[in-house]
Amino acid sequence: MSALLNIANLSVCFPLAFGLMDIFSPRRERHLRVLEDVSLDLGQGETLGLVGESGSGKTTLARAVLGLVPRSAGDIAFDGEMIVGRSEGAFRTMRRKAAMMFQDPVASLSPRLKVGTLLVEPFIIHGEPVASRRETAERLLALVGLPAAFAERYPHELSGGQARRVGVARALALNPRMVLADEPTAGLDVSVQGDILNLMTRLKGEFGLSYIVVTHDLALVRHVSDRLAIMYLGRLVELGPTADVFRAPRHPYTRALLDAEPIPDPRRRREDLAIEGEIPSILNRPSGCEFHTRCRFARESCRNEAPDFTQDASGSAVRCHYPLE
Amino acid sequence: MTDPLLSVQGLSVNFRTPHGFVHALRNVDMQASAGEVIGIVGESGCGKSTLASAIANLLPGNAGIAAGRIRFRDNDVLRLDADAQRRLRGREIAMVFQDPMTAFSPVLTIGQQLIEFQHQMTGIGKAEKRQRAEAMLVRVGISDARLRLDGFPHEMSGGMRQRVAIAAALLMNPSLLIADEPTTALDVTLEAQIIHLLRALRRDYNGAIVIVSHQLGVIAELCDRVYVMYAGEVVELAPIDDIFHRPRHPYTQALLDCDPARLNQRGAVLPTIAGEIPDLTALPDGCVFAPRCSFADDRCRVPQVLTYVSDAHAARCHRVQP
Repeated sequence: MSALLNIANLSVCFPLAFGLMDIFSPRRERHLRVLEDVSLDLGQGETLGLVGESGSGKTTLARAVLGLVPRSAGDIAFDGEMIVGRSEGAFRTMRRKAAMMFQDPVASLSPRLKVGTLLVEPFIIHGEPVASRRETAERLLALVGLPAAFAERYPHELSGGQARRVGVARALALNPRMVLADEPTAGLDVSVQGDILNLMTRLKGEFGLSYIVVTHDLALVRHVSDRLAIMYLGRLVELGPTADVFRAPRHPYTRALLDAEPIPDPRRRREDLAIEGEIPSILNRPSGCEFHTRCRFARESCRNEAPDFTQDASGSAVRCHYPLE
Repeated sequence: MTDPLLSVQGLSVNFRTPHGFVHALRNVDMQASAGEVIGIVGESGCGKSTLASAIANLLPGNAGIAAGRIRFRDNDVLRLDADAQRRLRGREIAMVFQDPMTAFSPVLTIGQQLIEFQHQMTGIGKAEKRQRAEAMLVRVGISDARLRLDGFPHEMSGGMRQRVAIAAALLMNPSLLIADEPTTALDVTLEAQIIHLLRALRRDYNGAIVIVSHQLGVIAELCDRVYVMYAGEVVELAPIDDIFHRPRHPYTQALLDCDPARLNQRGAVLPTIAGEIPDLTALPDGCVFAPRCSFADDRCRVPQVLTYVSDAHAARCHRVQP
């Protein structure tokens, strides 16, 4: 499987406001290190699930790949071409081939434009000629299973599931090779969630797409992704084939996430608590292994030494001194 | 069985909108006894939040009660005057909302608000109220409770705010706690913690708890009895185990089938429920679920009644035989 996207040692940090008082506390963190040294590949036709709690950096990673947030270090190569520089222009060519489905489908559509206009917007932005705006809009609507009449509607007239479909149609407008879907089913009812995921799966086959699905919903990624990448405090902590990760998670954090999922079966209620505490502030990263403050298996060395992200022959990787068997 | 603490009888609620009346609740019956945890589950638009708001008498201004009554202890909730309603909410019925941020004023400290919430508690001083607030924060698992009392809501994380919201709800020792999507805004690890907390609380709480959620997992983890709602009606009610292992209504069955958390094997296609929820301004004559039901036939054209298959298990479908 040749890689469509290569991410190497990608970091994103934002400078913090620096005030006079900071002179007296020289040890204060001056940067918000949102993403730390992330290396990841996405194969042709692959679906990669990017999972973590809020604040884990998963959305930032997806946005950084498209240059929507500036990277501070690291390399991104798309379809074999290295993206040089951080400017908008450097990413423009790539964004034609790599589209984003934003988290809030209604908020990501301009409320003043009709769906038909919204669907031809990508062509205008990228200077692609459009023979007939109406036909283009209708073709895209048909693609996602919406009637042509929807071109005349405004975003607020759409239900959550319909707005999501318009988001899918917009992402596919320019025939991309890769789609980054940020929480594609957040806020949807379970009966509609399946619809959107089935649609994404069908389109993947039809257009030979590769997906990065950013989500906190483990049950969902289990059914759509080939590989999983688990993030904690802006770092990858585990990477591996989805089935393997679910069957035998190796990082204690992954295990805790799986254990925390409520089970829709009253006969299998969990009596113990999978994980205590909350995700620490990235302004105050724990020493050593950054998960040690919440890890039930933490030992002395975990507090002092940061573990590496060690990859085995099969491509699975884990950032832990004492991975689970 | 003793009289239920809460009893909703034949409740119908309409919303006035520019497009006509939305029949948000139709002929809903529901009971909750002390010591019970009741789950109300359904998808958006099914009326579960409207039901919760009606019980707490917090329906928005454009809502009208078309029929039915709500009895809480010896009170006819819907007939109480505004003052009596407020007293009932302050002392007996407490609510926890989905978004813990909006439950608090951003300009007052947590302590000020938790003291203010006890204003109906006459006979004790401010210092004692502060102590009670602190004790309650400890009970819901807030570390540094004393320090937190002097902090503001924005200084806390979402999970912590939800804990404080639960503490605030329990301060007056209400006999009915209504939690509307209490974990929806939280990450899965925090959700597990809040579920854990609610379970621990119920051990030494002898009131009733009503959990409103669209998430089957949350309902399964917490509740004793469940009401499944669809398009403003209760379509099935049953003890928790029956809902998940012997569902009788086709909608309940379909809803369970859709939950990806119940599928162990990765399949090519995820199950869905075809069609959309009906327009609540113009309802079909017969069964509201029939247009989406894979078992629908001619007998579905007439209104369906709840048929009991056991003492506590009923479904609104003609296919169900007693």
